[in-house]
Amino acid sequence: MLKKTIWYSVFTIAIAGIVVLAGGFYQALKVTTENSPFRPAKVAMTQTSGSPAKSELKNTNTLQLLILGDSIAKGTGDEKGKGFSADLPQAIKTDTSKDILVTDAGINGLESQGLLGQLQNGRLNKPVAGANFILLSIGGNDLRTILSLNPQAQEDEFKIKEDSYLSNLKQALRILRSSNPNAYIVFLGLYNPYEKTTTAEEVSLWQEWNYNTELLIESDHKAIYIPSDDLMKFNLGKYLAPDGLHPNSAGYLALSDRIRKSLESVIAGT
Amino acid sequence: MFSLIENEVTKMIAKKRLMFVLIILVILISVFAYGQNRTLARTKAQLTQRMGITATVDWRKLAEQQLIDMKGRLDSPYMDAKSQSSLTVRMQQLQYDLNNNINPLDQSAAKFTATFMEQSIFLFLPLLVVILAADMVSGESSSGTIKLLLVRNVPRWKILLSKYLALIILEVVVVFCAFLLSALISGFFFGFGGWMAPVATGFKVLAGKLDASGVFNVQEWQFSLMVYSLAFFVAVVVGSISFMISVLVKSTAASIGIILATLIAGNFISFFLSDWTLTHYLFMVNLRLTDYLSGAVQPVDGMNMLFSVTVLFVWALVATFVSFLYFTKKDILV
Repeated sequence: MLKKTIWYSVFTIAIAGIVVLAGGFYQALKVTTENSPFRPAKVAMTQTSGSPAKSELKNTNTLQLLILGDSIAKGTGDEKGKGFSADLPQAIKTDTSKDILVTDAGINGLESQGLLGQLQNGRLNKPVAGANFILLSIGGNDLRTILSLNPQAQEDEFKIKEDSYLSNLKQALRILRSSNPNAYIVFLGLYNPYEKTTTAEEVSLWQEWNYNTELLIESDHKAIYIPSDDLMKFNLGKYLAPDGLHPNSAGYLALSDRIRKSLESVIAGT
Repeated sequence: MFSLIENEVTKMIAKKRLMFVLIILVILISVFAYGQNRTLARTKAQLTQRMGITATVDWRKLAEQQLIDMKGRLDSPYMDAKSQSSLTVRMQQLQYDLNNNINPLDQSAAKFTATFMEQSIFLFLPLLVVILAADMVSGESSSGTIKLLLVRNVPRWKILLSKYLALIILEVVVVFCAFLLSALISGFFFGFGGWMAPVATGFKVLAGKLDASGVFNVQEWQFSLMVYSLAFFVAVVVGSISFMISVLVKSTAASIGIILATLIAGNFISFFLSDWTLTHYLFMVNLRLTDYLSGAVQPVDGMNMLFSVTVLFVWALVATFVSFLYFTKKDILV
């Protein structure tokens, strides 16, 4: 009798199972082949203050600020969500009575190659041409890939990465200058968020990266390299966001203030 | 027919084959769950060391920050349309975790159940099926019981069909038990919840690249259902092929060896998929159906869900056809 009951239960499970699984199989096929039945609600593409159209107003009463680069340019890590696009104009306001128009084209994860592509595809031509100040933050994502390698591989990979990054940056600067010979370009240097776990070799690679960037930037008379690592080194607890990588609100404020200080005379003079 | 099938299934149970398979399942699931638990603990410890104790305990702050950042990206006029869906989907997942107070790092029974089968579908599950299927016919030959089967007043094809259907029944049982055991055993380690959590799916392979522009979330239980259904399909296909080998080859050991060799060869042959189009049509390289579902697939031009399913289906059909042809025509010498 036991054998019979086992058989009947097995059979029932099997029949029920086949029905259920057939349904699931059909679902799985649907999900991976046809166009998704669920269309994510088209998120209203709200324009940020300083949409490209507005830069048509070549008003002498407005200063135009263009922010380019990676997640730090975008303001990732700021509890208020804006980062430099809010804090920098706020800081600059103290030195000028003009209105400040901001265009923020930062993209999370952007590398130097991507920045070059952004400038080449032409969508930023208007903001670039009309800018008085251009803030640039790039290179962090290029460099971070090296850190996960073992020390032997690091040195060689670093050279390769650095060369291609500097070449990309050079070309990007050339494009910016050919479109806008008068804007002040501010390059924000890299800081080390992994202070506690970096080896001495990695620190020297980091410094070399920043130094070579500085050499390149400073060769342009209207560009300035602004370091951030000295500000962040001992203040990571205060200025770093919960993700351990980007600045937080206080960090962005501190950096914006530093940039303002370096540009003080220039802003007042425009 | 019904009694024939009953007979076959009872034979398998009596041979303790099914019990053997279930025991292997229990052991492997336990080992996997324990292993994941340890990895989770170690990841948390590493994070604590890197970012201070608050990072692991206070995941909410990080999640909220990430949501703010993602919202900012979504609003940007420079956002490219293709990433919109993946961003929205990710945001929904984070929002769900925040609303239900679930640390995104944590494992759950539901997540484990799906992940376990995703990992097992291309080798471990076929192995279990082979254990059941490989000696369905060759075993009768080697033990001589084939005589007893064939002298009865039942057409040969019916006998083979009863075996084949018995195999399918057992495959359902195996898949069902895999699901049950995964959920139960992992529940002890990670808690029994997580069935309503959002999981991303809707990935497509277009022109050799992974296209995430149409992704959307489904609930974990729906996802698991789809995963296990695909697993059942794979089980039936591998079962049919093993069945055929079992009919063709007199020795059970050779039968098992041949199937295993082809399955393992599949692992090596996957390296050539992008360069050697012929390999796309082998059944072994098309077993990873769940990868299409979860977006974990290594995209190869021309290989998508529909393609793989069709290839597998044809193989199963041909294998079954060959089995029946051979068994009904061949002279059985005992």
